[in-house]
Amino acid sequence: MIELQNVTKTYRAGTVALRDISLSIDKGEFVFVVGSSGSGKTTLLRLLLREELPDEGTILEAGRDIVHLPKWRVPYLRRNIGCVFQDFRLLPNKTVFENVAFGLEVIGRPATVVNQQVPQVLELVGLSHKSKSLPNELSGGEQQRVAVARAFVNRPLILLADEPTGNLDPTNSEGIMALLDRINRTGTTVVVATHDKLLVDRMRRRVVELDEGLLVRDQARGVYGIEDPQGVPG
Amino acid sequence: MVNFFRYAIRETATNLWRNRLMTMAAVLTVTVSLGLVGSALYLKQGAAQASASWERQTQVQIFMVPGATNGEHKAVKAELAQSDYVVQACVFRSQRWDYYEAKRDLGVDAATLTIKTTPSSFRCTPAQPADAAIIVTEFSGAAGVYQVVSPAAEIHAIQTTVDWLQFALLMIALVLLLSASVLILNSIRMAIFARRREVSVMKLVGATNWFIRIPFIAEGMIQGLLGAFLASAWVYGIHVVVDGISDPNNPQSLGAQMRLTGWHVFVTDLVVVVIGALIGGLGSAFAVRRFLDV
Repeated sequence: MIELQNVTKTYRAGTVALRDISLSIDKGEFVFVVGSSGSGKTTLLRLLLREELPDEGTILEAGRDIVHLPKWRVPYLRRNIGCVFQDFRLLPNKTVFENVAFGLEVIGRPATVVNQQVPQVLELVGLSHKSKSLPNELSGGEQQRVAVARAFVNRPLILLADEPTGNLDPTNSEGIMALLDRINRTGTTVVVATHDKLLVDRMRRRVVELDEGLLVRDQARGVYGIEDPQGVPG
Repeated sequence: MVNFFRYAIRETATNLWRNRLMTMAAVLTVTVSLGLVGSALYLKQGAAQASASWERQTQVQIFMVPGATNGEHKAVKAELAQSDYVVQACVFRSQRWDYYEAKRDLGVDAATLTIKTTPSSFRCTPAQPADAAIIVTEFSGAAGVYQVVSPAAEIHAIQTTVDWLQFALLMIALVLLLSASVLILNSIRMAIFARRREVSVMKLVGATNWFIRIPFIAEGMIQGLLGAFLASAWVYGIHVVVDGISDPNNPQSLGAQMRLTGWHVFVTDLVVVVIGALIGGLGSAFAVRRFLDV
């Protein structure tokens, strides 16, 4: 589903964000990307979203080389990728329903599809009863659920989440992770960049660790830190 | 496609309402500038029509020396009869006729002018308005000719004044058009800034560049068009005023000479509307290209 081959990204100021990264993620996988701040997690997600271009290397998504994708094709690529961010990025003057519907409207989906799919996805995230609320009337956890609903309403092949629990308390964080897990079970590939040690350790999914742009660990059913020989996460 | 139009109309209307003060400023500037453009166009057409009419009625007057001989009169008459530059035949006015005409039209004191001292004249219509100058040159200084008079110089002076007035109006209009474009550009820039969150979400969920851009461009075009429609009303107002001052019983009056037909006014308004749409569209397209990062 996602394949990075020898990808290097250097920013204009000379900061090397990623160094010769090679990584393969299968369809339907759930992957945590961990690492300290500045390790390159967000850059990796931005490259997958084609918000940035690598200096070297190839990125394939669903078999398609996205590095050499013409600019006009990028929106169509993004229709297959859902995004969730730490700061939710909801539109404050639109209701929950309108925020989720926005994701369909701007890609030209007809009103019948919007009216059918939005209630379904609001049901999935448990916010059917808040469809007429504005974002500022919701808790942080609920706002992030709306963001997840918007990211998933178009049934993307890939869902990218950049610190989705960064602004949430532990209970809400667990709820969001459970939601992402549920979405993953529908066959969507989920890539989550996070600092949330507790959740990574609890979920025991594949963990890719970056350190100063280098891929230093790729572990199936991994934990946040390196496991000690006794099996206790460090 | 229907969804896109519905979306674009809704977003454009929301934007216009959200930035209504800026929109009003842009619309009024477009109105004033296009009003001046329309006025200049009306003036140009009206002046061209009036001067063409005056030129068509231009008469060259060849005044003979009061004591000119019969032979000199005959020679001038014969030469006029052969000339390709005059519409045949020229009218001869005797000294008596010219005396009473001068007395009537100019209020000349009879004590300073007598029939004997008044020149007789030939009144000729040039074949083309431009031929008047040729006739003046041809007959000035001929035997028995006192003076050759043509109103072409006066018409030329009026035309020059009108041309300058029109040029000044156009220059002011151009400066205002430029400022209207900049104002539209700025209002679109502000709209882009106000909606930067929405734009970033649109990009993330896969909206195409044109889907994002078109509501902004439409916003600028609507500002331009609203201003243009008001300017069209301004031009129509000028037409009504000119119509009001023209005396239907006197087709020679300035108002009647400059009055344009309804078709001319319609075409002028159409030009104004097209310019309005263009400055609105171009101003917003430039803003979108320069400030909307999609």
